[in-house]
Amino acid sequence: MIDMKQGTIWETKEMQARLRRRYRKERIFKSVGLGGLLVGLLALAILVASVLDTGLSGFRETRLKIDIYMNPEIIGNVKNLHGDAWTKQVRDVDYGALIRNSLRTKFPDAKSRHDIFGLLKLVSSDARVEIMNRLIKDRNIIGKTIPINLLSSSIVDMYEKGQILRSSDASTRKISNKQLAWLDKLQAEGRVTSQFNWTFLTSGDSREPELAGILGAAVGSFLTLLVTLAIAFPIGVATAIYLEEFAPKNKWTDLIEININNLAAVPSIIFGLLGLAIFLNIFNIPRSSPLVGGLTLSLMTLPTLIIASRAAIRAVPPSIRDAAISMGASPVQTQLHHVLPLSMPGILTGTILGMAQALGETAPLLMIGMVAFIVDIPKGVLDAAAVLPVQIFLWADSPERGFMEKTSAAIIVLLVFLVLMNGLAIWMRHKFERRW
Amino acid sequence: MDNAAEITPQAPTQAMIQACDVNVYYGDDHAIRNVNLDIAPKTVTALIGPSGCGKSTFLRCINRMNDTIASCRITGTITLDGQDIYDKSIDVVQLRARVGMVFQKPNPFPKSIYDNVAYGPRIHGLARNHTELDQIVFTSLQKSGLWDEVKDRLDTPGTSLSGGQQQRLCIARTIAVNPEVILMDEPCSALDPIATAVIEELVAELKERFAIVFVTHSMQQAARISQKTAFFYLGEIIEFGDTTQIFTNPRVEKTKDYITGRYG
Repeated sequence: MIDMKQGTIWETKEMQARLRRRYRKERIFKSVGLGGLLVGLLALAILVASVLDTGLSGFRETRLKIDIYMNPEIIGNVKNLHGDAWTKQVRDVDYGALIRNSLRTKFPDAKSRHDIFGLLKLVSSDARVEIMNRLIKDRNIIGKTIPINLLSSSIVDMYEKGQILRSSDASTRKISNKQLAWLDKLQAEGRVTSQFNWTFLTSGDSREPELAGILGAAVGSFLTLLVTLAIAFPIGVATAIYLEEFAPKNKWTDLIEININNLAAVPSIIFGLLGLAIFLNIFNIPRSSPLVGGLTLSLMTLPTLIIASRAAIRAVPPSIRDAAISMGASPVQTQLHHVLPLSMPGILTGTILGMAQALGETAPLLMIGMVAFIVDIPKGVLDAAAVLPVQIFLWADSPERGFMEKTSAAIIVLLVFLVLMNGLAIWMRHKFERRW
Repeated sequence: MDNAAEITPQAPTQAMIQACDVNVYYGDDHAIRNVNLDIAPKTVTALIGPSGCGKSTFLRCINRMNDTIASCRITGTITLDGQDIYDKSIDVVQLRARVGMVFQKPNPFPKSIYDNVAYGPRIHGLARNHTELDQIVFTSLQKSGLWDEVKDRLDTPGTSLSGGQQQRLCIARTIAVNPEVILMDEPCSALDPIATAVIEELVAELKERFAIVFVTHSMQQAARISQKTAFFYLGEIIEFGDTTQIFTNPRVEKTKDYITGRYG
């Protein structure tokens, strides 16, 4: 076949077949890659769609406009009270009675105890606070009948959002036929409205789905990540620089390197156990606080951060180090003036990815008590706090149907956090990137 | 006494750098064998020889750049102005300020042209104020023949210059700290002939002030720019002498073979 004198003949059948085989291989290779990408995108699309589908309604709430008669007999003689006496009196008013009486006036057909109970179940328990706030704002409403847009209860909210169906069996349906009839009446009068659910974004957790908010967990996550960053970033970068630039290459550094790589693969719950044993039991740091959460997560993030930082440092061309050293820069000057600035984009990307991983971590936090039911929004790193993934876990576990959409809504908030963080990573990478 | 000075052309008093029985090992690899070499001030000394013969290794011994290689071990002595540069009392940072280096591939810092040149004076505290620093930058860029080309864009990145300009920027950066010796490791190998000619002219000017040690693969270049030439082969100096003598009348057969292109 090979005839060096004649040169290669490319037009033979074998050669043509070879060419075709090569093209076919390339086509297969490309389509396999493309197929993988499409499967991944499809999975992502399904995930996002299903989360948005169930979660977006969590950002809306239903309100019922009820005419409340501010009965002076129930409220008592408060007109002339001021200061502490006024505050105390206003707090002690039986708002439940105001609501009950007003609802009974509106729906005189509710007579039995059971009916009245069902009637009261239309509005949220928070309705009392809403009326109180109106009274505090304006004491002149006493004795008048005023329409107030009260927050509906979770069952009404679920029904309005189509998550409880009228057609379902009345015996197991959370909302009774009578309640539905009352609701129809309100609807006919245009008293049922839907609006943006600010409560969800501005309050902490609650036993009532319609009152539960994400802010406590979001602040908790933020504080926890702040602690994680403050601890893991300096230690991780310092370790990476030392290992990469200063440490002698011997058995011990090899051993350390292997251990760091192994630690990166250790299941996160092990770090939770470590945090429980050391930070809670030995150092007695308040349990379920962002401080102990951040400490535990920083242990978990450190290996990832060190590995990413070492890779970034290694990617700085040796010629830059040579240039600095030959100019008479000391090792520390070489690091601070040249290697670190050049590796910063890589280090920051690694850091943000590590932080994103820490943000989504649940298991180790369960071990250090961050799984508690916490209503208050944490004010500092020593306050008890929840974090977003644990909040999702807790809500997903709740029996109330109303928490289902809250769970998905919390997932949306977590995903938004993640997207923002990754966006930040890309932006920083772009900003700090320098060419050489 | 007079006789002895005549016999050895590199009289000890004239030499700026003296290498005495230098051996370099990379692990088990014996890279440099018993090298003795005197480098005179205000002279270009060319180191020639085939690839892997130890020219660059020897060059990097003179400013102790080999210290950064963990497996590298050096025996023998190298003195600069009579001081052993491998003595414990020597500060490496100061040594490298006295013995500057220009590399094969232009490696400006990814900073502005100004900052590239000002970096050395800044870290060594050579300028007391901005005016002095400006003056150093101006002088260095002028000496490296780059001033007219970059005076209007001192704040653009050094990496945005052409290859030849980058290499002259590296030279400007080196002379900004006012060294005594400049080591050049094949500084023209990545440049086109025109940029090479510019660098060669520059070297001829710089030798009026500095001792220059110049590693090159090009015989013609060594012949053009150097006054002294050392021929390295397999880690040894085969022949060392005046450039004209080495190229016109080599004493050793191997040298003759190499410069006439028989091998290498």
